[in-house]
Amino acid sequence: MPFAPVLSAEWLKIRTVLSLPATLLALFAVTTAFSAIAGVSSTSDPEFDPLFMALSGVGPGQIAAITFGAMAVSAEYHNGALRLSLAAVPRRGVWYAAKLTAIALPVLVTGLLTSLAALLVARAGLGPAAAGLTPAEQTRGVVGCGLYLTLMALFAAGLATLLRSGVATLSGLVPFILVVSFVIGDAAGTAVEFLPDRAGQVILQETSDGILGPWTGLAVTALWTAAALLAGAWSLRRRDA
Amino acid sequence: MTSIDVQDLTKEYGTRRAVDHLTFRVLPGRVTGFLGPNGAGKSTTMRLVLGLDHPTSGSATVAGRDYATLPEPLREVGALLDAHAAHGSRTGRDHLRVLAASHRIPDRRVDKVLEETGLGPAGRRRVRTYSLGMRQRLGIAAALLGDPRVIMLDEPSNGLDPEGIVWIRTLLRRLADEGRTVLVSSHLMNETASFADHLVVLGRGRLLADTPMREFIDARVRPAVRIRTSDPAVLVSALAAHGHDAVEHPDGHWTVADARVDDIGRLASAAGVPILELAADEGTLEQAYLDLTATETEFAAQPQEA
Repeated sequence: MPFAPVLSAEWLKIRTVLSLPATLLALFAVTTAFSAIAGVSSTSDPEFDPLFMALSGVGPGQIAAITFGAMAVSAEYHNGALRLSLAAVPRRGVWYAAKLTAIALPVLVTGLLTSLAALLVARAGLGPAAAGLTPAEQTRGVVGCGLYLTLMALFAAGLATLLRSGVATLSGLVPFILVVSFVIGDAAGTAVEFLPDRAGQVILQETSDGILGPWTGLAVTALWTAAALLAGAWSLRRRDA
Repeated sequence: MTSIDVQDLTKEYGTRRAVDHLTFRVLPGRVTGFLGPNGAGKSTTMRLVLGLDHPTSGSATVAGRDYATLPEPLREVGALLDAHAAHGSRTGRDHLRVLAASHRIPDRRVDKVLEETGLGPAGRRRVRTYSLGMRQRLGIAAALLGDPRVIMLDEPSNGLDPEGIVWIRTLLRRLADEGRTVLVSSHLMNETASFADHLVVLGRGRLLADTPMREFIDARVRPAVRIRTSDPAVLVSALAAHGHDAVEHPDGHWTVADARVDDIGRLASAAGVPILELAADEGTLEQAYLDLTATETEFAAQPQEA
């Protein structure tokens, strides 16, 4: 089956269920709002990183990206919707690729716009504190942020395909990102740096002091995402719809 | 040929065998009723034909090909499996547009099938506001979308109002008359009898019958004559003289088993029995089906070899 019509069907699916575009709007609103707050409440912390401060809205904002990825997939596991989808597109690999593309592209576009807006808003608040940021660092932050959000949305999509449930995916991922990553934080040593969210967020920092650099960190997140997507593909291929 | 071919198909879920070495063929130009009690394996068979479930062994093909290898499956096969599969937040029209988009089917075809299934203006409403009958119509609209030569509907009359039931009967007949292959599952006998030409009957995943409907009934239900008279004593003795037994029913009519109306009419007339009513008591699909499942239950009750 040709890919283009299948992709347009999957994209139409996302557009025609209001809650999904609304989630992308939430991604933009939450991220920009938290970055704006961070911008005006800057401290005189010696480890202050203006780029990370400006893009700190991504912390709460990524929940929306994850929700988008998980929900776009989990709608298929309701009342036999997947059977209808796979009856129309029986080539499961083609269908899965189209579904993931239809998730990734809007998150990437929204993510890039969001991080650009967050940076601009926060910089207005930070004023001279952010003056030291070079254009290259800012570009890297904005592009990296868009990619990071896309990888997290796909990570959630892969898990939702494996678990065949959005609720299970979100109730695992959201506490993990909000709590576990924070709590075990610095205590657990260098292993924590390799968690999917921690590794990917290095790209949001002006200077990184850990093992991973901005792009190697993002590559680690990409590996996590690839693993989740492969697990999802395996489940989709092997199991009865 | 656009037949559905099921060859030695078996599907096990864990240790439970839902479909058990099933072989049958659904041919074009007629409506094939797919009968069996709940859990007999009808829906599983349909999912296997659509490549949604993987068979444990055997094969199911449409027009000689695996469903998954069809380049544009919706143009070959239209299926209704579960009326609840449509997402509640989408409008009925958008639900169909999504399916249409995957096959580059234009929106005007979407509007056409909405009209055809009587959903027209309701197409702009969200599916969650639909009644079960409307969801069935939407599911049938989805099945018709690609103008397919093979149509497979799982319990389509579920939740339809009386008007809807007449509509679907007419629709199924028309589709078969256009030369399409039509397979319709049901557990309602009278409903199936009203549209089917041919029957495939399942019980516990096995094939119990694959015959034309008329033959199926005639082979299992003995013809009888229904007769009512104002003088039962004369009737009974006249019948007994010719070797017929008459059984009286509480409402006053009698039935004569294994008899034809032509013989009984002449016989009664010759004996001068006053006749108030005389009719052939044709067997119904329900009687035939119950007869079949009764023997099947006896058979199934025997200890089975592993």
